[in-house]
Amino acid sequence: MNRFSYLRPATLEEALDLLAQYGHKAVPVAGGTDVIINAKRRRLEADTLISLRRLTDLDYIKADARRLLIGGLTTLRSLEKSRLTSDRLPALADAVRNMASIQIRNVATMSGNIVNAAPSADTAPPLLVSEAEVRLTSTSGERIAPLSRFFLSPGRTVLEPGEILTEFIIPQPPEPFGQAYWKHSRRQAMDLALVSAAVHLELEDDLETCRRARIALGVAGPTPLRTPEAEARLAGRKITAEVLDDVGRVACGESLCRDSLRGQAWYRQEIIRVMVRRMGRLAFERARAKAAGARG
Amino acid sequence: MKQILNFTVNGEPVSLAVEPHWMLLEVLRDQLELTGAKEGCGMGECGACTVILNGRAVNSCITPALEAEGAEVITVEGLLQPDGRLSRLQQAFIDYGAVQCGFCTPGMILSAKALLDENPQPTEEEIRAALAGNLCRCTGYTQIIQAVQAASRKED
Amino acid sequence: MAELSFVGRRLPKIDARDKVTGRAAYINDLKRPGMLHGKIKYSQYAHARILNIDASAAEKLPGVKAVLTGRDIPEMRIGFMKDITPLKKDKVRQFRDEVAAVAAVDPDIAAEAVDLIKVEYEPLPAVFDPLEALKPDAPLIHETDARGKPAKSNLLSLRWKLICGDVEEGRRRSKYLVEDRFQATWVSHCCLGVSGCVAEFDLDDNLTMYSITQIPYLAQNDFNAALAALGLKDKNTRIISPAIGGGFGSKLDTHVYEFIAILLAHKTRRPVKILFTREEEFMAQPPRQPAIINIAQGCDAEGRLTFRDVDMTLDNGAYTSWGATTPSVMMVPISSLYRVPNVHYEARCVYTNNVYSQAMRGYGNPQATFAVESITDELAEAAGIDPLEFRLINANRPGEVTPQCFKVTSCGLKECLDQVGQRLDWPVKKAAKKKARGLGLASLIHVGGGARVYKSDGHGMIMKIDDFGKVTVITGAVDIGQGAETVIAQVAAECLGVPPEDIQIVKGDTGICPWDVGTHASRQAFIAGNAALAVGAKLKAQILDLAGPMLETDPADLDIKNRLVFAKSNPERNMPLDKVLRRAHFTSQGKVLAAEHFYDPPNEMLDKEFKGNLSCSYAYGTTGVEVEVDEETGRVEILRYIAAHDVGRALNPMLLEGQIYGAAVMGTGYALTEQLILKEGRVMNDNFLDYKLLTAMDKVPVEPVIVEPIDECGPYGAKGVGEPGCVPSAPAIANAIYDAVGVRIKDLPITPEKVLAALKRKRGET
Repeated sequence: MNRFSYLRPATLEEALDLLAQYGHKAVPVAGGTDVIINAKRRRLEADTLISLRRLTDLDYIKADARRLLIGGLTTLRSLEKSRLTSDRLPALADAVRNMASIQIRNVATMSGNIVNAAPSADTAPPLLVSEAEVRLTSTSGERIAPLSRFFLSPGRTVLEPGEILTEFIIPQPPEPFGQAYWKHSRRQAMDLALVSAAVHLELEDDLETCRRARIALGVAGPTPLRTPEAEARLAGRKITAEVLDDVGRVACGESLCRDSLRGQAWYRQEIIRVMVRRMGRLAFERARAKAAGARG
Repeated sequence: MKQILNFTVNGEPVSLAVEPHWMLLEVLRDQLELTGAKEGCGMGECGACTVILNGRAVNSCITPALEAEGAEVITVEGLLQPDGRLSRLQQAFIDYGAVQCGFCTPGMILSAKALLDENPQPTEEEIRAALAGNLCRCTGYTQIIQAVQAASRKED
Repeated sequence: MAELSFVGRRLPKIDARDKVTGRAAYINDLKRPGMLHGKIKYSQYAHARILNIDASAAEKLPGVKAVLTGRDIPEMRIGFMKDITPLKKDKVRQFRDEVAAVAAVDPDIAAEAVDLIKVEYEPLPAVFDPLEALKPDAPLIHETDARGKPAKSNLLSLRWKLICGDVEEGRRRSKYLVEDRFQATWVSHCCLGVSGCVAEFDLDDNLTMYSITQIPYLAQNDFNAALAALGLKDKNTRIISPAIGGGFGSKLDTHVYEFIAILLAHKTRRPVKILFTREEEFMAQPPRQPAIINIAQGCDAEGRLTFRDVDMTLDNGAYTSWGATTPSVMMVPISSLYRVPNVHYEARCVYTNNVYSQAMRGYGNPQATFAVESITDELAEAAGIDPLEFRLINANRPGEVTPQCFKVTSCGLKECLDQVGQRLDWPVKKAAKKKARGLGLASLIHVGGGARVYKSDGHGMIMKIDDFGKVTVITGAVDIGQGAETVIAQVAAECLGVPPEDIQIVKGDTGICPWDVGTHASRQAFIAGNAALAVGAKLKAQILDLAGPMLETDPADLDIKNRLVFAKSNPERNMPLDKVLRRAHFTSQGKVLAAEHFYDPPNEMLDKEFKGNLSCSYAYGTTGVEVEVDEETGRVEILRYIAAHDVGRALNPMLLEGQIYGAAVMGTGYALTEQLILKEGRVMNDNFLDYKLLTAMDKVPVEPVIVEPIDECGPYGAKGVGEPGCVPSAPAIANAIYDAVGVRIKDLPITPEKVLAALKRKRGET
């Protein structure tokens, strides 16, 4: 186990000051479910951990008509239990429900999942199809970056040293919309995705035509990725089994699956094809159900 | 360099000097001799180290000890009722055959307790989801689920 | 039989209270005064010469009390083929070979010291496939055998061959004949309690091992041999057992780390604890034996089996543990599952640079039954006979003698098959042929009345009773979670007429408890149960002999129930048990009672031809499953899982169900998700994330069915059940998948990839 110092700043300012002060010798840690594991596997490059857990001001899920705002210290469990998640981000609700275990979700944060930037990060595809932005804060100020440009490679993001991901900003899509997320894994819990797919559909008033579609895949490339060609195949078309089949095929073609210890590329591609289709259908049905409910 | 950690364990306040890189599990087992919580993997993947921290089940093997500052921690040793009787859950585990080798048992009971404290009448699916992070090789889980269901049915 | 008071009841495990309160002490919790912590340095090559080991930096690290390498220790050969040395001196033969060991004041310092040890290797060509290792130009893993004789190949001299009847004749008589190949790979025991021990010498150089072994007395023997190698020939080892966090066969051998702990304790003159990390547990604990199985089976026009011909190649890994002896149990289903008159079985073990294997629940039976029960379905299909019907035609019957000379006493196989068929609504569902849904079943036979795999299959037990009528049972049994001590208490209580709470079990100390060969072969309920009956009878006779004169009654007319000694013909004539005992004790030339018995069952060791009545009775069972296959992803969902087990009599139905549930889930993991992945000899998934043990969310809907034909040999008619539950799971599931979607997966685990790939081939897609 790597030895480390452990600091517990009480406010965001303190935390940012410490990060600026320590530079490369420190890493921020929230739930610790990735960072502490790295320390135990002796992969930690820093010797000081700066805990963000006292920054309870950053633990929130707020919504207005235009946006959903999720604080950087919000745990996966809070997201799992919140009605706002299931109403406004159904794909994210699908994702968090199945991540790891309750013990992990009780402390792990969505920002930690995103910043850790594993290709298998379960919250990434749902956030990507929701066109989320992230607020990155440091002692020098703040900037807002689209999540679609956040991931650079496995484990690497645009986060600069000294920056903390303090907020997720998710625009409210126009109704009727539906979302769904599928995590393909060998077990029903405590597992990483072999491959994953999130689909977001916005429907025209006829509730049959797709106005806009967004599709994102996990473990289908070095970073979680969108599949714009597949999205284009859906936009403006009536959603039928054939169309969804086609979309699945195209999404599969846009993926960059590899063989790895955990799974083979050919299988991942098969699953993408099938799951984009199935999640497309599920998102579609959810959108229609919501619209039917709204119309009473 | 050691720091002073103040928290409450099973209702008792404790104050200890801990190294910053220690995890809560070591502090409970080695400093406080509460050896009910076990190290099954050390990586938060098996749940044998589960304790309840501020009402939530956590893997103590990946919880830095200093995060317990000011917190209330419950371990399996804290489940006995004041008169020495076992809690409903513990008794149910005994009565329904939910214990074989017993290594996973303390963690399993605490995960179940955290569930019942929040959701007194869980469905089977909810129980399975609550226990998903507690691995067991002996029981195949069925009798554990039966025990939790029995404990949730009993009135005090 | 008269109404039973305690046997047959769902009594909770005696040690459950300690376990639910966190009081039970496992090896992880054990501390000894002055204790040091040991850590092992493992090889980084699968096959290499050791050129040099430089431990100087490690030795200088503050807190380090000893560093040992192969050059510092006396010649010591362990393992039943004596091909293992605790620390490797000249060569490493597998990735996890132990090259050096450190004892330090805490585990972190020990780990740091291990990193400071520098080892220079000269890599050698390695071989990771047993079939490759058999080729003449393959690198030799062991250049000599244990006695120093040069080895000519990687083939072990240990050969297995069983011939019953005339298989060629059987082939000729067959109307239908099928042949196929099956494969099983490594899986890990995954005990939640990791491996560990504390070795401690006293001032007289006697050794105490705090050990989680399943074989305390055989371990004592092995450790005494180690003492002799250390120049301590007449010293003795005492094994003390803490609570054990799971066994499943992983503690049936004495392991390298235990000998290392002894060596470190001897060097430092302090207790030394070695405790594995989970990574070490996956990497360095030998897994289940893999097998490459070629099998042919035939039947006549009526579907009666004519022959079974099986050939196996076993990857023995770099050294030899019990994995190499699994063929002795593989023979059990091969020769005796269903009535098959002609059997030929050959198995060879081949050294490779992979990890070596040890015993694991079922001891070869799951591997063999996967092949036998898969091919049986293939044969039934060739013969145009329904799989359930086929098995009923060939089912074993009570009283038969099998080709391997097993004398089957009770046999509930037919009832198990019927139960499964009924509960799955077999004929109706099979006819319905619902898309992507299928039914499959498989049966098992296993030893149920002990197994003479060692010269003695005995169990020693002592009972004493005190002035308060409280009984102490001193037993050589080890409890690995299955509930041996609880069953002993129930049998003793039943026998002596006192409630189980009056029975205290003393176990886990070879210095106090009598000899028992070990907790294996599902034998404790049968053997310890019978021992308890024998000792209980002796103790009861002593009590009644004393009570007779006190009650002015013939002892033959007396009985004990509810702590009361009474005359059967006139129950008014009675005396509390404790009063009888105190009267007998507190008088001139008084008596205090104790009885003992060494129960060694009337089973036989297999002869040179591997024939003989290995067990007193045989356990049967049938597992039937209904599955649904997702034809686009290859995922298999188990909709129903019926586990029917012939147990003779259920001594404790709650504990028995626990064995069935647990084994069924283990068997399902074996079938669908578990594999220890080795790449060029290196374990790649040494953690619980990447080793796919089933979680509570991976529901297997097990419905246990207990069949009780009441066996004549077992205590109250019982047979063992610890292992059977995981034996037929894989073939039942494989057969159901075939029924559902027409693809047969012949190598385990049946992953979604394999199913999907097979489906695509079937559909003509590339």
